[in-house]
Amino acid sequence: MRPPHTPSGTEAGPAPLGAALPWTARLRLPRGGLSEWLSGGFLLALVLGAVFVEAIPGLAGPEFPWGDFSQPPEWSLNGLLGTDPLGRSILSRVLHGARTTLTITLLATAIALGAGLLLGMLAGFYRGMVERAVDLYANAVAALPPILVILALVAVVGNSVLTMTLALGLLDIGTYARVAKGGAIAQGERDYILAARAMGASDGRLLLREILPNLLPSLTALVPPLMAGLIVTEGSLSFLGYGIPPPAPSWGGMVASSTDLLDRFPLLVVGPILAIVLTVYALNTVGDALARRLGGRDRAA
Amino acid sequence: MSAGATLLECEAVGAELGPASRPVRVLREVSLTLGAQRSLGIVGESGAGKSMLIRAIMGLTPAGMRLSGRIRLGGTDLGNLREAERRTLLGRKVGMVFQNPMTSLNPFRQIGAQMEEASRFHLRLPPAEARALAIRLLGLVGLPDPEEAHGRHPHQFSGGMKQRIMIAAALSCQPELLIADEATTALDVTVQKEVLDLLARLQQQRRMSMILVTHNLGVVAGRTDEVLVLYGGRVVEHGPTAQVFRQPRHRYTEALLAAMPRIDQPSHQALRSIPGQPPGPAEPVPGCPFAPRCPAVEARCHASMPPARVSADGRHRFACHVPVPVAAEAWA
Amino acid sequence: MPKAMRPAGAALLRAVGMRLLGGIPVFLLVTFAATALADLMPGSAAQAILGDTATPEQIAALNARYGYDLPVWERYGHWLWRLLHGDLGETLFSRQPVAGLLLDRALVTFQIAFLAMGLSLLVSLPLAMLAASRPGGALDNALRAVTSLMLSVPTFVIVVMLGFLFAIVLRWLPATGWVAFTEDPLGNLESAILPVLCLSAHQAATFYRVGRSEILAVLQEDYIQVARAKGLPLRHILLRHALRPALPQLLAVMGLSMTYLLGGSFIVESYFAVPGIGWTVLAAVSSHDLPVMQAILALTVAIFVVVFILVDLGYALIDPRIEVA
Repeated sequence: MRPPHTPSGTEAGPAPLGAALPWTARLRLPRGGLSEWLSGGFLLALVLGAVFVEAIPGLAGPEFPWGDFSQPPEWSLNGLLGTDPLGRSILSRVLHGARTTLTITLLATAIALGAGLLLGMLAGFYRGMVERAVDLYANAVAALPPILVILALVAVVGNSVLTMTLALGLLDIGTYARVAKGGAIAQGERDYILAARAMGASDGRLLLREILPNLLPSLTALVPPLMAGLIVTEGSLSFLGYGIPPPAPSWGGMVASSTDLLDRFPLLVVGPILAIVLTVYALNTVGDALARRLGGRDRAA
Repeated sequence: MSAGATLLECEAVGAELGPASRPVRVLREVSLTLGAQRSLGIVGESGAGKSMLIRAIMGLTPAGMRLSGRIRLGGTDLGNLREAERRTLLGRKVGMVFQNPMTSLNPFRQIGAQMEEASRFHLRLPPAEARALAIRLLGLVGLPDPEEAHGRHPHQFSGGMKQRIMIAAALSCQPELLIADEATTALDVTVQKEVLDLLARLQQQRRMSMILVTHNLGVVAGRTDEVLVLYGGRVVEHGPTAQVFRQPRHRYTEALLAAMPRIDQPSHQALRSIPGQPPGPAEPVPGCPFAPRCPAVEARCHASMPPARVSADGRHRFACHVPVPVAAEAWA
Repeated sequence: MPKAMRPAGAALLRAVGMRLLGGIPVFLLVTFAATALADLMPGSAAQAILGDTATPEQIAALNARYGYDLPVWERYGHWLWRLLHGDLGETLFSRQPVAGLLLDRALVTFQIAFLAMGLSLLVSLPLAMLAASRPGGALDNALRAVTSLMLSVPTFVIVVMLGFLFAIVLRWLPATGWVAFTEDPLGNLESAILPVLCLSAHQAATFYRVGRSEILAVLQEDYIQVARAKGLPLRHILLRHALRPALPQLLAVMGLSMTYLLGGSFIVESYFAVPGIGWTVLAAVSSHDLPVMQAILALTVAIFVVVFILVDLGYALIDPRIEVA
């Protein structure tokens, strides 16, 4: 089986925004283009906003009927992205939704990265049955659309934040494992590994001190695009009603609940849509920049 | 084209890359004339500009390369033509064989199809005729069972056979000029000879002109009417092959000839190599490009580019301040 | 295919057979996990499904019928046995045979999947060829930005935006509602337009990127120079020389994309009320219809295995250097 992995956005790389027009292509800065800095800044602002949302002075709570119903965006803190049909501040709900989504996806990524790294390293180092088992798992997960896997789990255990986190983590283990395995196999044949072995290094020491650090660059480069994928998966599930359980605000859920009113209040969807599109784009851009910087950079033994 | 007419003319052809303020000159003032049914060998080290000259003639220079001078094929100035016209003219009148037979054929397509493209496109031959022509040409270049070969794919042939296929393809539009750009470099020595013999035969039979581009003097010896020696993007010597070999005037040519191992020399004699490295195109040199490595170099060689000197019969020219001395009467 | 290269029928069959065998472990793993799902439910499966109002007799009956009171291995064995006889069980509540139900729904999903694939290829490949022939040019840069943006927009957002544009603003297309082909071919196509457009958005962007990248790489090859030296026009070179070597990688991406499409796009089918596999899954989730979920998981894996066998065969077809067996 040869399922290739083409995470969205990494084929030729999302262009710096300036490249939309030919003459601005020359604006592309050699190191750290403008869009990369903007993306990083946006992500940082988002994370800070999500973490400290409750401390923002004057920001209404996500359930608080702050203003009139379904108002368009205006130039005030709470009304920046408008209000929803219950008068709640969309900005506030977007930030609270960010908190939930980011928490879930970061935890899931941590799980997937940790488990994937471990499994992949072991598979690549010991080969044999371990490798076959890891491959089998990775292929099995890759064979199924992510949403289907989570829907199946939700069908039996219901949707909750915990379910989402674990399920999302489960999805990406295979990908991290596959990359870690490939790296470990490549490492295993290098001279410094043979040298370390000859000096009597134990397996554990080899794995931890020599192989692991060299796997980190390529794995780290994977994190932003895969995390973007998880955010999209979670958003899609919330859109369908099987993601973050209401009444907690979620981006997908906010989009879904606005669709009935689109003909009269089209601006309701702007907030959550902007949030998710910008976040995914920013993650992909940062991911590409990381991949370019870290690609091929091997820590010498 | 009848013998005696001029087929190809290059007038002061230059090629440069990079910013106009600090250009990298890959070719400088290259002039040559090639008559119909004549063969020319273009000789030089890697980086001397041989391939770039061919590319300039064929209109295949890389983007960003600026060309100067004039190139005329069969009297027509190529620079005056529109892109499509030039492409068509060159496609019909010039056949080209490239260096690496392993990569010159598209591995995904049958060789028959690749051979027929040119004739179907330029000569508008109907499929059956194009196929018959292709098979005939395959037989002509010595492929056993040409009909079967026509339907096969490149990976089923050896390097030597692939090169023959390339030659056959190059002949499909009955070109007046055949260019072989290092066509034998990637082949085994025995196969080299076969391919060169084949080229010579074909040139005779089809009354074409031929250009053999090579870094190996042995390839041109006895096979070409004229030889042109390039160094550092410039023509350093040009003349009838036999004469240039017998009586090289430029110091570089002399050194090249001296470096060739000869079967009639006593064995165990040290090979005479030319010390130093050829200049990269990025190093502009005010004087003669060969000066840094020349055994007979003088001060004026570094200072100024030597003027071209021509023999009395006009057929042998070179550019050297300190040429190899000869009896005076043959020279202007 | 040229006579010399056509693989013998027997060798082809053997090659397919070997690959099918290779897909079996994954199939077994996934279907086993699907069967084990029932054990994840709190309490007994039947109880969780039927809810609080169920009587003990109803619970026992359900457990017996689907084997939820059996250990997972036994249950799986039964399920496999029935599968081999073409029986995928019955839906939980209406007791319809799942196999027949899935067939109907699958046809709908397959229809929009193939239409979307066709549209994506039609749009992306010519653009990829044009962009690759002038890298760094205006078209190339513009498309890079556009596809980058498109790939950052999740499908559910695309669905909402396109639905808004065509159904609400322009009123050109119906917002929801599916017309079967057998009822009204034209209505069928009309109801398919929005779903197909939404599905092909990401697909076309991905195909474009891969296509451009591959074709660009092919254009650096020597044989392209040879073709140019022959004086052949750019269009001919792109179509006849550059496209085919670019196909293998494209085929791989097409395969992956196809498996997702054929497995049913949940978002698109749900939003536009298209009665396909994805829509069926969603209905099954809300009613905890485990037999249906199991069957769809099995179907999805099977599709994956088959598609990748086809991709492998496709490689061999395109690249004459590859032997099938």
